Amino acid sequence: MRYIFNFPDIGEGLEEGTILEWYVVNGQTIKSGQPLVNMETDKIVTDIPSPKAGVIVAIYGSVGETIRVGSPLVEIEIEGVFGADAVAETKVIEKVEPVEEEAAGVVGTMELADKNAYLAASEEGSSKPKAEDKPVVKVQATPLARAMARDMNVDINKIIGSGPSGRVTKEDIEKYKLSNGSQKGIGKSDIIQTPISLDSVTYEPISQIRKAIARNMLNSKQNTAHMTLFEEVEISGLISIREKVKKAIAERNIKLTYLSFIVKAVVLTLKSHRQLNSQIDLENDRMIYKNRYNIGIAVDTPEGLVVPVIKDADHLSIIQIAEKITELSEKAMDRKLSLDDMKEGTFTITNYGSIGGIYATPVINYPQAGILGIGRIVKKPVVKENQIVVGNVIPLSLSVDHRIVDGGEASRFINQIMEYLSDPVLMMIE
Amino acid sequence: MEYDVVIIGAGPAGYVAAIRAGQVGLKTAVVEKKYIGGMCLNWGCIPTKAILESAKLFEKVKHADEFGIDGIFEHNITFNWEKAKARSKTITGKLTTGISHLLKKNGVDIITGTARIGTDHSVYVDDTKISAKNIIIATGSKPKAMDKSLSNAPVIEMEKLFTLETIPDNIIVTGNHVSAVEMAQFFKLIGKKVTLIANSDYFMVGLDYYLISTLINKLKSDEIDLILNVYPDKYENGVLHVGELKIKCDLIVNVNSRKAIIPESEIPLELTERGFIKTSDNFETGIKGVYAIGDVSGKSFVSHVASAQGIFIINTLKGIKSNFDSTSYPINIYTLPEIAQIGMTEQHIKESGIAYKINEFPLSANGKAMIEGNTEGFIRMISDKKYGQVLGIQIVAANATDMIAEAGAFMNLEATVYDVAKTIHAHPTISEIYMEAGFDAFE
Repeated sequence: MRYIFNFPDIGEGLEEGTILEWYVVNGQTIKSGQPLVNMETDKIVTDIPSPKAGVIVAIYGSVGETIRVGSPLVEIEIEGVFGADAVAETKVIEKVEPVEEEAAGVVGTMELADKNAYLAASEEGSSKPKAEDKPVVKVQATPLARAMARDMNVDINKIIGSGPSGRVTKEDIEKYKLSNGSQKGIGKSDIIQTPISLDSVTYEPISQIRKAIARNMLNSKQNTAHMTLFEEVEISGLISIREKVKKAIAERNIKLTYLSFIVKAVVLTLKSHRQLNSQIDLENDRMIYKNRYNIGIAVDTPEGLVVPVIKDADHLSIIQIAEKITELSEKAMDRKLSLDDMKEGTFTITNYGSIGGIYATPVINYPQAGILGIGRIVKKPVVKENQIVVGNVIPLSLSVDHRIVDGGEASRFINQIMEYLSDPVLMMIE
Repeated sequence: MEYDVVIIGAGPAGYVAAIRAGQVGLKTAVVEKKYIGGMCLNWGCIPTKAILESAKLFEKVKHADEFGIDGIFEHNITFNWEKAKARSKTITGKLTTGISHLLKKNGVDIITGTARIGTDHSVYVDDTKISAKNIIIATGSKPKAMDKSLSNAPVIEMEKLFTLETIPDNIIVTGNHVSAVEMAQFFKLIGKKVTLIANSDYFMVGLDYYLISTLINKLKSDEIDLILNVYPDKYENGVLHVGELKIKCDLIVNVNSRKAIIPESEIPLELTERGFIKTSDNFETGIKGVYAIGDVSGKSFVSHVASAQGIFIINTLKGIKSNFDSTSYPINIYTLPEIAQIGMTEQHIKESGIAYKINEFPLSANGKAMIEGNTEGFIRMISDKKYGQVLGIQIVAANATDMIAEAGAFMNLEATVYDVAKTIHAHPTISEIYMEAGFDAFE
């Protein structure tokens, strides 16, 4: 029988996803649980596993296309799966995709796309999803170029072809691939194709991540009352402690950043300032105070901002926090963060200082109550024991939702953080 | 008078370039010493195919009774050379008039005379100086002369053939390539005793070995004697001495490999080892603003490529950037049956290390071929294994030279075997063999 596998709701109010890569082709025999496609959603990049074993008979949507939740992804011929195997698969289905739907009314006797199916150039059987959702401009391309693009997982629609009427050719695909996708307007070097009147701007589709960022930022600015405090703290004590600890754990290959100490300071401070670890629920006239201390770390990636979360940071030592930060930022860079890695944050830290910034007015990760911005450590004259000396100063920018956090509370919160940072031994004692 | 372009030679390279130049608004002159249309129209492509057509029909009518036509008997039909020749003249006449008309219509001045390239971007035609911003040499080629030891032999070149009143019985054709094979078969078809003398190292260079062996077998079955790598020593009393062989010989038709016709030039033109004008990829010679296209540049010896070069060069001069790709043009042989090839040969593909497959389909299983009584032949399609890209197509069929055009489109559009298979071909047609080969490629 035929089984149409629709793009499942993988949680968190997901509406759509963009196909980044197909792992399967028509005619391929697949196992249940085998990854079918790599999808970029507004939160994560994830593999969608097959709920069934069988033979892929149709693939809906090509690389770069946006698929709405509930729209078909693939069609699987699962005839001939009986007995224990079938039961086993059913279990997997429940585990992996609790929300997938079974399409009814598919003609069960459709012939399998057989011998033609293995050829990448063949588009037989790969009917496009309903056009009304997403008008896709199909670029002109030679059959070979399409086959190559499919094989190399290149979104052919991103390439400006060098052939007649801008047709994408084999050479264009090769050049695009060689340039790692940076060279989009390419083609034979002696052909100059300047799209008339389009040269002053370049139109590019928005990635799912960018869409999510835009939505979240606007949401935060529109629904909260932002207020930002700026402070500076002298951290020579922290610097020397960090050097000591670093030496002590040198052989453990741990990247002990200042951020790890700051996370610790923030967590300790949150414990005594619960407004900062809360959210306001006006609809139900109540506050929601969070008893977990899950610290989101804003990470700048080439694709855009992502915020993985260090869960239960209050249970972690500074070194464990350091390890966790390294793990999460590596995952972020490789776009390997799972939905779990990004869920359930209660407070966020953004470390733009690592890029060079000093002060900012960070935007709250709504519906959280606050976000702490860390600037770059600068050498500055400071007064110590009535003497002007060279100090190592770290600038802090704290944005709070003024609906939840009063000015006094915000000041007390940041003061305590500053205390921990200027005298880190206090952190160790707690 | 200063021209933007002066083209020397009005063959398929020159006249096409001239018409194109006129069309894009360049002030153009073409200098031709003898014939508008060059060898191609006057004693090459067109007239030889015209007389070949007569010869093929002569052969075909011998089988009229098989088609249900009584009254035609082999012993009472004869080949009338004068009439066949006249028919070819009518055709070339129409075509050359057409070209002259097109040249004039596009504002190209036709200057009759022999050109000499001067210094300072000038061309002299019989002492009249013409200034030219750009000079295109398209003077073509001629067969290499026979060895001096044969100076007493009755040797003619193709140009002369069309002036012969009768064709004697014992013919020797010398040459390595398409025209030599075509002419050998022509003489055979009209009932002559024919020997073809060729150098095997250069015999049908560029043709797939498979097609070469098909061709050699065909010559054998046609009873054309093929002598490879042995050259005539002397000619005595109507007999040509070729090594040990003594061949009765009334006429030697020299269709030897080509030698460039280099125009006189006051600025020395740099030549290649083989004596052709050396040019860059853009067909520019060592002298700035002087170009060479067609046979004289030695890059190709077929008229359709020469014409393509002509268009390319004018586009370049006019600032219209284009790309010259001469890798996928057909090689056509107008024998009976015709042979056509496009794209890479199997040998070339092997050398390139591409994983490939070959799918062949014979005409003997094709309905239309049976209907027409021409079941001799096949299609051979070479494709890469990974994507199924069509890399080369070879056809042997009565109409192969026309059928190959479809392959040209496939190759130009980077089609895959899948596209070939899914292109619906009408039934019955000989072209159905494309589809068959395409489907075969999946198995």
